Amino acid sequence: MNVLEIEDLKKKFGSHQVLDGLSIAVPEHSVFGFLGKNGAGKTTTMKIVLGLLQSDGGEVRVLGEKSVYGQNAANRFIGYLPDVPEFYSYMTPVEYLRLCGQITGMKEKQIRLKSEELLELVGLKGVKKRIGGFSRGMKQRLGIAQALFNEPKLLICDEPTSALDPVGRREVLDIMEQVREKTTVIFSTHVLTDVERICDRVAVLNNGKTVMEGRLDEIRDRHRKNALLIAFERKENLKRFIEEPVFRKLLTASKKEGCQVIIEAADIEQAESELIRGLNETQIMPSRLEILEPSLEGLFMEAIQ
Amino acid sequence: MNTLFEYLPILLPVILIQLILMVTALVHVLRHPNYRFGNKVVWIVIVVFIQIIGPIIYFAFGRGEDE
Amino acid sequence: MRAYAAFTKKEFTEFTRTYKLLILGLVFLLFGIMSPLAAKYMPEIISQFMPAGMEIEVSAPTALDSWMQFFKNISQLGLFVAVILFGGIMSSEYSRGTLIHMLTKGLPRRTVVLAKFTAASLLWTGAYLLCFGAAYGYTWFYWRSDANMSGLSVAIAATWLFGIFLLAITILGSVLCRNSYGCLLFTGIAVVLQFLLNMLPKIKEFNPLELITEGTPLLQGQIETGLFLKPTIIACVGTLLCVTLSCIIFNKKKL
Repeated sequence: MNVLEIEDLKKKFGSHQVLDGLSIAVPEHSVFGFLGKNGAGKTTTMKIVLGLLQSDGGEVRVLGEKSVYGQNAANRFIGYLPDVPEFYSYMTPVEYLRLCGQITGMKEKQIRLKSEELLELVGLKGVKKRIGGFSRGMKQRLGIAQALFNEPKLLICDEPTSALDPVGRREVLDIMEQVREKTTVIFSTHVLTDVERICDRVAVLNNGKTVMEGRLDEIRDRHRKNALLIAFERKENLKRFIEEPVFRKLLTASKKEGCQVIIEAADIEQAESELIRGLNETQIMPSRLEILEPSLEGLFMEAIQ
Repeated sequence: MNTLFEYLPILLPVILIQLILMVTALVHVLRHPNYRFGNKVVWIVIVVFIQIIGPIIYFAFGRGEDE
Repeated sequence: MRAYAAFTKKEFTEFTRTYKLLILGLVFLLFGIMSPLAAKYMPEIISQFMPAGMEIEVSAPTALDSWMQFFKNISQLGLFVAVILFGGIMSSEYSRGTLIHMLTKGLPRRTVVLAKFTAASLLWTGAYLLCFGAAYGYTWFYWRSDANMSGLSVAIAATWLFGIFLLAITILGSVLCRNSYGCLLFTGIAVVLQFLLNMLPKIKEFNPLELITEGTPLLQGQIETGLFLKPTIIACVGTLLCVTLSCIIFNKKKL
């Protein structure tokens, strides 16, 4: 079942067509990475889903319920973490979460338990000071706690890591990984390593359309090239390797990049065994030898060309 | 001017309220050096020398975010 | 309903912790004390500072003078202060985006508007009662039984109602405008408009402005209580209209 379905979404700001027929389907219990350049329309899409912006056309459904602009009833399924979450700075985290619980109609006891659980999860347990004195990272973590408070079926995070230092980023990603069993997570980012760490699905947005969508491993498989990388520590080893007649056949389809050579072959295993045998014979020792995986960066660059 | 001293007990609550307003605002100005606009000196002058309205303007418009 | 109560409570917390409650309370208390004092001692103070030899006929101050001062202070400075303090009630949320979390959790937008209006009305009522209490106490202290004049309760209620009406306009302004200055301007224009309309005799008898301008004439016995009926109805209808309109507009507001 799809938690979120977006069909043919259109949005124009002035003369700039930000979204031009965007379609996405997010199945249940996935961690969905929403990629795109800055200004590609990721935030716009999320705001339309939440009813904070009016679309010019197309349809958004959350758990089958249509999402509308303004007073949006579908929001009860959603937890949202904006890119820069803002809180009432005069409240403490506990007070803020209590307010969150009360406006969604939770019982006092439930609120207390949930607050404790979530503050523990995001590492803000026992923090008594007011939110006004929080760091960026602390606010981001409290943001996750408030987004998860009403046990949403869909957690939407808008660039949750982009404003954080490496430590804060790691903490936020860890938390998101922990909640994946309970909810479906969509998060937008332009940091590809974050996607590689926790996402199982991605969609790449470019010029207002999805240019690539699907399971991350399937996309990888589809774009896998049969290639071997062999790297040398020193220039003279590389030179010997290239000039060695044993490897001539292998090197017909290859390219040289600095101290490494990428060899393409139809049958990768056969090529690999030939290469190892040759290396053994000639006693040229490489520093590295591996089968090339398509990098997400490469795929991303290819997709948005 | 002696009459003014006669009235002092009656005027005391008024003076007291003005003082509380001024001191609260002044303490806030000094403790939270982030303002939406203006700087510390400007706000000190406004809070101390403009009776009643000064602290109101500070808390309504000048007060920055809590840090 | 619980969401409404919780959000109203949040407004009170906000007013307390951002010192606005303190300001509102102290200023209104000050107005309450100052009105009778000014009435009582102004003639003496004036004659003190008069150049020697100059004589002015100053009649002895009465409870009426005290209440006249009270209504003058409340209708000019008091309402002004209240509107300034409540003018940012929405814009502070727009500019910082603090409502996003609340609304994306399914808090109905009209609840936000209604809770804010409720909080503002309650605070105004509290401050006004404080002010009235202080003024009544001092007036009673100086003039005893004269303090409770005929028509006083009607005049007091009329000014209170006008305050509520003005707050409804302020809420509408703050829903319409993105920043608090726009809201203050909107409220200012609405008041100026009422003053202009007051020049037309046909409209004057319906004008809510009568609620604050006719308080003193009522105490002086120049007009009848019945004259307040039409402005009262208009003010009530106007308040309802402003709040309803605010809800409708806010429902479609881009945040």
